Amino acid sequence: MFSDFPHSLYYGILFIGALTGLLLYSRVSAPFKSVALLLLVTLVNELVARYFKYQLRISNNPVYHIFTVIEYLLYAIIYSQFFKSKKWKQILFVTVLLLVFWEGINLAFFQQITKSNTNTLLLESLLLVILSLNLFLKIRTDMEHGNLLSMGSLWFNAGVLLYYAVAILIWGFHSLKVYELQDPPRIIYTLLLLFNTLLYSLFVVSICLDAFSQKKPKSAS
Amino acid sequence: MMHLLSLNSAEVTIFLVAGIILIGLFLGFILYYIFTYRDKQKAYLLLESQNKEIENNKKVIENTLIDLKATQTQLIQSEKMASLGELTAGIAHEIQNPLNFVNNFSEVNKELLDEMVEELKKGNTEDAISIAKDIVDNEAKINHHGKRADTIVKGMLQHSRNNSGQKEPTDVNALADEYLRLAYHGLRAKDKSFNATMQTDFDESIGVINIVPQEIGRVILNLITNAFYVVNEKKKQLLEGYEPTVTVATKKIINPSGSNVVTISVADNGNGIPQKVLDKIFQPFFTTKPTGQGTGLGLSLSYDIVKAHGGELKVETKEGEGSEFVIILPI
Repeated sequence: MFSDFPHSLYYGILFIGALTGLLLYSRVSAPFKSVALLLLVTLVNELVARYFKYQLRISNNPVYHIFTVIEYLLYAIIYSQFFKSKKWKQILFVTVLLLVFWEGINLAFFQQITKSNTNTLLLESLLLVILSLNLFLKIRTDMEHGNLLSMGSLWFNAGVLLYYAVAILIWGFHSLKVYELQDPPRIIYTLLLLFNTLLYSLFVVSICLDAFSQKKPKSAS
Repeated sequence: MMHLLSLNSAEVTIFLVAGIILIGLFLGFILYYIFTYRDKQKAYLLLESQNKEIENNKKVIENTLIDLKATQTQLIQSEKMASLGELTAGIAHEIQNPLNFVNNFSEVNKELLDEMVEELKKGNTEDAISIAKDIVDNEAKINHHGKRADTIVKGMLQHSRNNSGQKEPTDVNALADEYLRLAYHGLRAKDKSFNATMQTDFDESIGVINIVPQEIGRVILNLITNAFYVVNEKKKQLLEGYEPTVTVATKKIINPSGSNVVTISVADNGNGIPQKVLDKIFQPFFTTKPTGQGTGLGLSLSYDIVKAHGGELKVETKEGEGSEFVIILPI
């Protein structure tokens, strides 16, 4: 069905993630409902992108141009639900506007609709690394949870930090070098795919942990 | 995959090395975060348990404080009753005097009325009128002494009652004089051998000042009772030429800060207060009296009462020569 093992693993995890999100949707807390939605939207996006590439045999880059903005919007919603404060909601709103604005500039002047929008992905990755580090700080300051390892937000945030830190390197490399190379080094993108798989695996873990921790008070009551 | 790896350009190598370093760094960060969080969490849990302990201790202390306040109220009441007990004999003596007057004058009036009837029968109107005038004079005296007894009873009731804490214009000279006599007669009634010279030096310019009379009265009584006790103790030493004397004086003065104050001093020529106990005399439950004779609360409560009036309670003493307690009240 898919070209190789990394892709099969990636789509498999994404499918399991979306399914888990749907099944546990009613049990999880607000941020993880958004994580479930993000997984579902990502799965739909990947399927549409594949349809463009393999069925319509046209560039699927336009799909990613739209998806990047939607994806960041969903991340902004998730982080605003984690941070809870009005100040952070305002900051996140500004970053969404910044990303949309930057995507417009990128489309107009740098990476047209048929090209990969790595410049926007670079900004998105940078913003998400910053948000992730801030959430780590908040978790450490709040000390709301008894066992850190059973916190869904820890695994979600660790996934975001790891994947998007690597993504900065990859998209940066792409933005600077790819156009000069005749044959882009696919190992880099395989690496990215594996990290992406890890990211969504951690999302699944975080959803399950949150659903488990949310279930306890219900059974207790 | 092998085909991809064969694209081993310098950029790819740099990229992979940088990638591995980056991944290592962030993985290291996450692991460091998790492990240090555990340490911090331990400290946090310890702090939380300590906070709970502090909270529990606070509750215990609060309950103890409530109990202490209740006990303090009871002790104050006991001290009041004790001082009232000391006064009882004095009060009885003080009431006895006006009662004697009332009885005597009413008997005299009865006789005068009989005489007046006789004179009227005889038609000696002038004599009858003269007798009637005497009766009226006696009646005024009866009324005066009746009122005096009434004042004493009211004072006793005020002393024992829980005061409202309301200040009222009070003649401190009269207050001090009354408690001096009550204390003296009280001690005399208990111990017939007791005798002391009472001296007063009241400043008439004071007039009335705003105080809670029951409370300041209690302070004065306490100081006078203590003074009589120490002069009596010294007298028991059978010192030659010793004349036990207690002096109560009032004065209106301007203190160094420029405000007017009234001082009420109670001085005795007893043995004075030893320097080693001088710092402790205002502490609750400190007493030099034998067990059962003093609660050790008198001076402590007196100090609190004077402080509550915005005043000061000072003591000057010379060992072997006597002491002087001075109440300084702002006006």
